[in-house]
Order: sequence, then C-alpha cells, then structure tokens
Amino acid sequence: MLRAIGKRDRDIFDEVWPEKRKIVLKLLRQETVSQREWQDLFFGVHFVCLWDEKGAAKIYDGLQQDIVEFIVQAQSKVQAQRGEQALLATYIVEWRKFFTQSNYLPLPFRQLEQSPQVKPPSGSGSASGSGSSTSAASTSNAAAAAGGSSSSNQAASSSSSSTKASTSAAAAAATSSSGGASSTTSAASNSASAASSSKKGITEDSPVRKLMLDSWNKHIFHDIKDRLQESAMKIVHAERNGDAYDAQLVVGVRESYVNLSSNAEDKLEIYREHFEKAYLKATADFYRLKSTEQQQENGVLAYMKYADAKLREEEVRAKRYLEPSSFNILTCRLVKVLIVDHLNSIIAECPALIRDYETDRLNLMFRLMDRVLDGEGVEAMMGDLQRHIKSAGLADMQSASEIITQDSEKYVERLLELFNKFSDLVRNAFNDDPRFLTARDIAFKMVVNDTSVFKMELPTSIANRGVKYTAPESKCPELLANYCDMLLRRTPLSKRLTSEQIDARLRDVLLVLKYVNNKDVFMRYHKVHLTRRLILGTSADSEKEEDIVEWLREVGMPADYVNRLARMFQDIKVSEDLNTQFRNSISRHDAINIKILNAGAWARCSERVSVSLPIELEDYIPDVEEFYKKKHSGRKLQWYHHMSNGTITFVNNFGRYDLDVTTFQMAVLFAWNQRQHDKISYENLRLATELPDPELRRTLWSLVAFPKIKKQILLMEPTAIGSPKDFAENTMFYINQEFAIVKNGKSQRRGKLNLIGRLQLSTERSQQEDNQSIVQLRILRTQEAIIKIMKVRKRMNNAALQAELIDILKNMFLPSKKMIKEQLEWLIEHKYMRRDDDDINMFIYVA
Amino acid sequence: MKVTIKSWTGVASWRWIANDENCGICRMSFESTCPECALPGDDCPLVWGVCSHCFHMHCIVKWLNLQPLNKQCPMCRQSWKFNIH
Repeated sequence: MLRAIGKRDRDIFDEVWPEKRKIVLKLLRQETVSQREWQDLFFGVHFVCLWDEKGAAKIYDGLQQDIVEFIVQAQSKVQAQRGEQALLATYIVEWRKFFTQSNYLPLPFRQLEQSPQVKPPSGSGSASGSGSSTSAASTSNAAAAAGGSSSSNQAASSSSSSTKASTSAAAAAATSSSGGASSTTSAASNSASAASSSKKGITEDSPVRKLMLDSWNKHIFHDIKDRLQESAMKIVHAERNGDAYDAQLVVGVRESYVNLSSNAEDKLEIYREHFEKAYLKATADFYRLKSTEQQQENGVLAYMKYADAKLREEEVRAKRYLEPSSFNILTCRLVKVLIVDHLNSIIAECPALIRDYETDRLNLMFRLMDRVLDGEGVEAMMGDLQRHIKSAGLADMQSASEIITQDSEKYVERLLELFNKFSDLVRNAFNDDPRFLTARDIAFKMVVNDTSVFKMELPTSIANRGVKYTAPESKCPELLANYCDMLLRRTPLSKRLTSEQIDARLRDVLLVLKYVNNKDVFMRYHKVHLTRRLILGTSADSEKEEDIVEWLREVGMPADYVNRLARMFQDIKVSEDLNTQFRNSISRHDAINIKILNAGAWARCSERVSVSLPIELEDYIPDVEEFYKKKHSGRKLQWYHHMSNGTITFVNNFGRYDLDVTTFQMAVLFAWNQRQHDKISYENLRLATELPDPELRRTLWSLVAFPKIKKQILLMEPTAIGSPKDFAENTMFYINQEFAIVKNGKSQRRGKLNLIGRLQLSTERSQQEDNQSIVQLRILRTQEAIIKIMKVRKRMNNAALQAELIDILKNMFLPSKKMIKEQLEWLIEHKYMRRDDDDINMFIYVA
Repeated sequence: MKVTIKSWTGVASWRWIANDENCGICRMSFESTCPECALPGDDCPLVWGVCSHCFHMHCIVKWLNLQPLNKQCPMCRQSWKFNIH
C-alpha cells in the first residue's frame, strides 16, 4: 500500500476503492464479511482520505451509488407484491435488513465526518437516540478497533441481527484485551473514548447513515408510503371490525416510519407526518360513522356504554400501534368524535338520570364527560345536579311544610335525610368529585337559606331611621338551635336516644349549619336556649353541653362567641362553689341557690324588671348580698328576677303539690296567701306584684291557660278570654280550689308539675327587640370589619373591600349589599374614611 | 290553700362599685374592659388604691411599670398602694 504514495490522487482512489466496494456491497446484502475484510475497509477508507485530497467526496459518491442501487433492488422486490399483507411483509423484511445495516455500514466511514467536502449532518447529536442501536454500534466499534492487534474470532460477522452482532463484538473485544498484546492499552483507551462518545450517538451523526436513510426515504418510501399506510390502516380497520390480522405488520410499518428519520432532533418527524396522521384520520373516520350508527340504533344510554368501551379498546390498540407520544393526541381525537360530537344528546339525558338516581349510568356519563378537555360536559352535568337538588329539595320541604314549620325535629331530620340522599348520589355517581361536591354544597345552601317555606322578618335598618323595611331570612338557623335544645335538654327525645345517637345528631346539626348563611341567628338562639338550660338546670348531660361548645369552635364559629359560651359554664361552676360556701356560712338558708353571672357573657339580660318578692325571699336577699360582699369586695349584686325560679309547695283541700315556677309566678301566687278565697282584679294584682304590664299578662296567662293540663291553678272572670292581651283592669282572678294534677284521667293527691314550661327567661320587650338587636349587632360587626380591613389596606376599591368583608363576616352572616353600602356611607360621614377624589369607587382610610 | 317556698334559685350578675364611671387611665367605662381585654368581669378586674382611686387592674399595672422611681397614683400623685380589703 505504501507504494501508492506518490501516485496521483485519482489513481489512489481508483486503485483502492473497487476492492473495498465489494465489501460494502456484501455488508449491504448482509452477507458474511470476514474480520480481515472488515478491517481492510477501515484501512482503505482511511488511506484514501489521507492521500487523496478529494478522497472523502469520492468515497461518499461511490457509496451513494451503491446504496441507491441496493435500494432500487429492494424496491422492485417490494413493488412486485400485490396483496396488502404480502406487500407489508416484504417491505418490513427489507426495511429491517437495511436498517440493521445502517448501524454498521457507517462505522468504517467515520473518517468522512471530518472532511469538509462531505456535507455535515443537519442536527448536532442529541442524547435522544434509541439506546440499543447506539450502544451496539459503539461496542462493535471498540471491538473492531481492538481486533486490529489480535485476530482470533470472526468478529462482526454481521449476517445476524444487531443484538447478536453486538454481543459477539463485545466478546471479541474481551478476548483481544485479555490477549495482552502491545496495543492493549490503546485498545482500552479507544474503547473508553468510544464508550464516552457513544452517548452522543456515533452512527446517528454519521453522514453515511443519513445518506442511507435519506436514500431509502427518497427511493422507496416516498413511492410506496401511501400504499403502506393504506395497507396498515386496512388491517387496523379489519381488526376494529373484529377480524384477526397479524398485528406485527402494522407494528413493522410504524417502526420503519420511526427509524427512517435521520433528523436527530425530532426522530418522530416522518412518523408523525405520515403514519400518525393517517392513523388518526382512519380512526376518526371509522368512529364518526360508527358512533352515529350506534346512537341511532341503540339509543343514547347504550351508546354511552359503547363509547366507553371503545375508548378503552382504542387505548389498548394505540399502545400496540402507536408511539407513546401519540397516545394523548389519539385520545383527544377519539373524545372529540365519540363524545364531544354527541355532547348535547348525551347531556340531554342527564336530568332524567339524576331524577331517577341512576347512579351507574351517571357514573358512566361522568367518566365520559370527564375526558372532555374544556370541562363543558362536566359543567353541564354540575348544573343539572345543582338544579335538581335545589328543586327537589325545595319541593320536598314545601310538600311537608305543614309539619316541619311546627316541628324543628322533623324539619332537621327531613333536611338531613335530603342531604344524605344527595351526598349518596354525589358519592356513587360522581365518585365524590370535588366539582360535584361544590355543586351539591351550592344547591344545598340555596335550600337551607330559602325563604319560601319559612322565614323570619328582620328589619333592614334600625327602626328610628324612619322607613322600616323587612328582609326575610330563612328560619333554618332558629329551627336548628331549637333542635339542638331538644337534644341537650331533658326531653322525651333526648331520653329516647342513646348518648351516641345524640352525638351523631348534634354533628348533623353542625353539618347543616355549615350551609346556613346567617349563623349569627343560630348563635343567638343557641345562647338563649343554653341560658335557659343552665339557669333552670335542665341539661340532659352537662358534658355534652361543653362538647358542643368545642365543636362549634371547630366548625369556625367566631372565637369571641365561643369563648362567651365557655364562660357561661365557668360561671355556673363558680356559682356552685359559692353556693356551698353560702350554705355553710348560714345554716338557715338551705333552700337558697344563687347563680352569679358575668354580665358580658350571657344572653343579653336587657333591663331589670322590678317585682315585689314574697316576704320569705325578701328576707333571704340581704343575707346573700352580705355574703357576696364579703367574698368579693368592690362588687355589687344585681338581681335578675326574670331568670330566678323556684319550687313551691301548693296545698289545697284536695292535695299537696310541688310546683316549679318562675319568680314572677311565685309573686303572683303569693298574692293569695293571706286571702285564699278572694277574687283579685288584674289592677290589684299589678299593685301587689309591682310587675310591669307585659310581664304580668304573660305570667297570669301561664297560670290560667298553661298548655296540656286539665285543671289550671288560677281561674278568671269572665272566662272567655282568648289571649293575654285581652285581660282588662277589672278581670278577676281566683285560686282554683279544685286544682289537682290529673294523670290517666285520675286526679292525684300528690305530684310535681313544672309550670315554667316554655316561658321565656327574657322579658317581653327584649323578645320583641331580639330581631332588631340581631340587625344592630350586624351593623356593628360590619362597621368593625370595614375599619379592620381599611386600617391594614389604607386604600382599597369597592369590589375588593366587599370581597374581603364577606370573607371576614361569612362565619356569622352574609352582609347584604345594601347594608355594606349604608355602613360605608356612615363611616364616610363620620370621617373614618373617605372616597378618593378621582375615583369614586376607591376608599381611603382616615386615621 | 297555702303556698310555701320549698326552694329558690336566685339569679344575679354583679357590677363594680367604683366611685367613678370611667377608668382614669384608659377612659373606658368600668362596665366594660380595658382596651386589651374582650370580656368584662373576672378577666379584667378593677383594683383600688389606698387613695381610694380605682382603675382597671391591667391599666394601673401598666402605668406603674412605666414609672421608674416613685410609684404614684396617676390621679392624686400620692404614692400608690393597693387597697386590699
């Protein structure tokens, strides 16, 4: 070979190449190439490039000729096939052979990469190469380099598949390096460098490989790609129709599309532009036809099942025939054809399914709609659910309004029943999907806060401001509080239930309370009831009483409210200790209990009511006050006689009875103690008791017309008086000497009777004021919250302020737009804040 | 007929007996709390000095802590001593 030095360039190529070309052709045809020939090829290429200035270009051209020639032969083989399957099969065989070689043939020609005469590959090598072919190539490269020193094996006999070649090459490398020849180190370093550069993909950058793939693309693929695709799609189509075909053929076509790409940056380019596109189109066309057909034949409900099944089926099929990058695109397209195109007819079934609680079908529909990307279907379903809950809930309430407006137990139970029904629906049909839970909550809120069945009238502004509007609000919170009271007080209901059942129901109440807008109403009533229970000692279970306070804290009731409740319990406990001490200090007052309350914590005790107490009590009072003064200097007691109560022994000719009465009732009854048989006029009773008019009427009414007892304690003249308002100054009252407790139709000689009943522990006037004070409190809360926000923000526009305001207040009540506006005006008027001069919607805090 | 009392539960609340309406330090009513507290009553008690002036306990303690040397009543400048009854 060295003799070639000095010869003209042209001659060197001509002399060396024809020999080498034979080896190239052998390689292309996958014939056996001996190790010697393989090495000669490396040497020859190197030699030509070294001694011939234009050697690289010449080799490249020669190579191209051979490759194209080979491809043309292959093409004619493929084209000769008529049948679709035969065509595919032949093509795949030829392509796989060629592709295998595209990993080996470039190796000897690496010299060409350095040559500027050969057009460099378009993309720089990225790491995204297909791992197996790259590593196989690199090891065989290392083996070939190492094999130069010691020749033992038929290395690189590349008639076998690529994996086989790589293992045998690796084995060759191992034997050669263990042979201990002089070039071992260089071989090792060579293989090391090959290994490190293998990450870049040796053959993928190669111009020769690019040449091979581009030539294949140009000469064979370009001509028959339509036929190939078509054939593949026909197979898929047949498979969809239930005929079995060789799936491998389709897979083979896809592989050729993927591997054909010589674009290193986007290996899937050709695949995407041809195969994927065709597959998507074929799929869409197939189902466009089928879906309409199915729907018309079997109806929408059956169609949903069909669509669901097909979507799954196609997902499995896609895993077989498509690259992973196509899965989403295909699903998208399928969803469009199978669902979105039929969206309206599917959705149209939704209301009926919800109405009939067809959870399985709804679940199916939900799964289908959930695939639709923009959520249009799910949204429509949410709307249907919301409408259904609202209308069904309200209809249910309205149909039972007669009972439930009277009976808070029935109301709450009905409400919970509804709630559980809808929650079940959401769980079973929509897997408790958060979006549907929200829809349920919104609808439930509407039911709970609806004012068409019950409402309470709240004045929207304070009375002395002139015009008085009323804004109706749902009575729900009041009824909830009443129900709580029934569970916590000693009532037939609480006696019937076990402790666990009561707990569960209280939890339920809190659940409903979550949906109530005006929680402040609940708090108010709950507090009134609690006050009653604590003062009268009628709690069924004091532990539960304190539990529920903590639960209220947990569900987000305002802390100061909950703290006040806790304070009430503390007061009662302190009072018990005080009582013991009092009794120890003065032996003659065994019958006296005192409850000393912290004025701020309890339900507002309004104004004190004067009453002339029975003489015995008048005696006790100074003792209590003296005792308390000794215990707590600097404090003075204020009596709340409208809350005081006691037990009296009532003796008449018939029997002897213990009566639980309020202090007011006590005062009235004691009027007869000195003149048992007299008839006393209303006017004189007022003088005797010193009670204010409304209180006296209420108290008298409870004695002449106490509900559910056969014989009343007091009788009156005239008898035909229908309400406490109708008492006149000269209406006469007298003791019923025949009074007796009647049980099972028999008059009892002994017995105990509670005459306090449902009498409010508040005074008549404060009861009237109740609703107004709720409004008053709301106004204060709103003002307070506005100032709180503005103090931090300094400047804020109207919309943001309102949003934040509602956020702060929502645990108590929902402030109406009107109220917010009024309070803003009030605050501006009183110079707490002002409007921006330029922007009327911007508020500025004034310190 | 005769009525006798078997037992009786009297309900009352208490208020401070102060010789003034408002606390001389925070100017808040004795009926309510000092500015730091939320709930009137035991949690925010009143205290009296031997000079007979009366303040929220929280207020006077804060005041006394601010006086480096002579602990004086802020009203009459007599040296402050708690009046323990």
